[in-house]
Amino acid sequence: MNDRRKDQEPAEGWREASEREAHLIRQAQEGDQQAFETLLRLYDRHVCAIIGSFLRRKQDVEDLAQDVFLKAYLAIGRFRPGAPFGPWIRRITVNTCYDHLRKIRRHAEVTFTDLGEGERDFMHLLAEKGYPSIGNQSEDQVAARDLVERILAGLTPKDRLVITLREVHGLEITEIADALGCSRAAAKVRLWRARREMQAWYQRLIRQEEETAHREGRGE
Amino acid sequence: MTCRDVTQLLKREGREGPAFADDSALALHLKSCRPCSEALKVVRLSSALLQSLREEVGGPGPTFYPQLRARLAATESGQPDINLLDALGLARRLIPALAMGVLLLAGVTLSISGSSSSLPVQVRSGTDVYAFSLEEVNLPGVIGDLSRDQMLAFVLRQDDVQSTPPHSSLPPGSSPGQALGGGRVREGVRGLR
Repeated sequence: MNDRRKDQEPAEGWREASEREAHLIRQAQEGDQQAFETLLRLYDRHVCAIIGSFLRRKQDVEDLAQDVFLKAYLAIGRFRPGAPFGPWIRRITVNTCYDHLRKIRRHAEVTFTDLGEGERDFMHLLAEKGYPSIGNQSEDQVAARDLVERILAGLTPKDRLVITLREVHGLEITEIADALGCSRAAAKVRLWRARREMQAWYQRLIRQEEETAHREGRGE
Repeated sequence: MTCRDVTQLLKREGREGPAFADDSALALHLKSCRPCSEALKVVRLSSALLQSLREEVGGPGPTFYPQLRARLAATESGQPDINLLDALGLARRLIPALAMGVLLLAGVTLSISGSSSSLPVQVRSGTDVYAFSLEEVNLPGVIGDLSRDQMLAFVLRQDDVQSTPPHSSLPPGSSPGQALGGGRVREGVRGLR
């Protein structure tokens, strides 16, 4: 009896949250700005996290988040009652990021010589230790983030989005397809292509690091 | 340990994190198999770098919502017409279809205008074959470029009406065949029959 009650508690909590969200959406659709803001506060961290995967500067992240929320505000009247708000706002976020990335798209090829000294040292360090997990040291985190940002910048905006949604936010294929507005199969193919592209970049970096190590006599 | 075993382990490591225990068989295989050792490095480098993106991102700063409120208020006062935005979006989506239509129309126009003059017409007269361009032919009552069908229809008509002369549409002193090039065409058509 007690077990059943324990099982019911999360379900009831979820239902309450869902009803509260539906109520806020109805109020926002009637023009209640306060309700709209309360609704946004439930999702602002998630929205900023997605945008933060593409943009480094906090100010840029917040600017784009404002664009997302403004678009949501203009479109809330057309939001289908009863539908979940999370995937809807995620779709707007992804589309806004995609538009932004298309504007600032960079085609420059990343080569090992293009890397900064800190990034090169970081690669040497990783290679020496056999590419272990990165510790919590902020310097390593920053170097790793710089490096992966460079590699991601070499991908198309959509490939970058797919990789980020899957590898960073851990979204399922169905959720990615929903966010990108494509079929499950198309999302799967895009993810496969993006991963292959990323792997090619990693291979290039590893080989160049090995060649440098060999030239400098470090590998012997 | 085989390459297939290593591939399975790499897949697991990609999904769940480190999956390799200290294994002498694995170490031996990696030492002798360059593709496998490279694949292991790629998987480890990938998870090490992507991990740095997974760090917790904080929410927006304290000025975020006041700024957003100001922008929403500005939008409220001069809010653009949603229907107009929809119409613009629809027009943008229609651009490729319109471009295709224009190209199709241009293609059809070019093919029609090209067919009337560029095709040579062959007319057999006895054992000889005469070939000439339709641009060289002037038919009475036809202005502009002439199609092959128009010309053949005219020749056949002339051929039929020759048995009941005179032909009223021809200028005085000229025969229908002369209008087409000295009687050769009519004879040629008769030869074809």
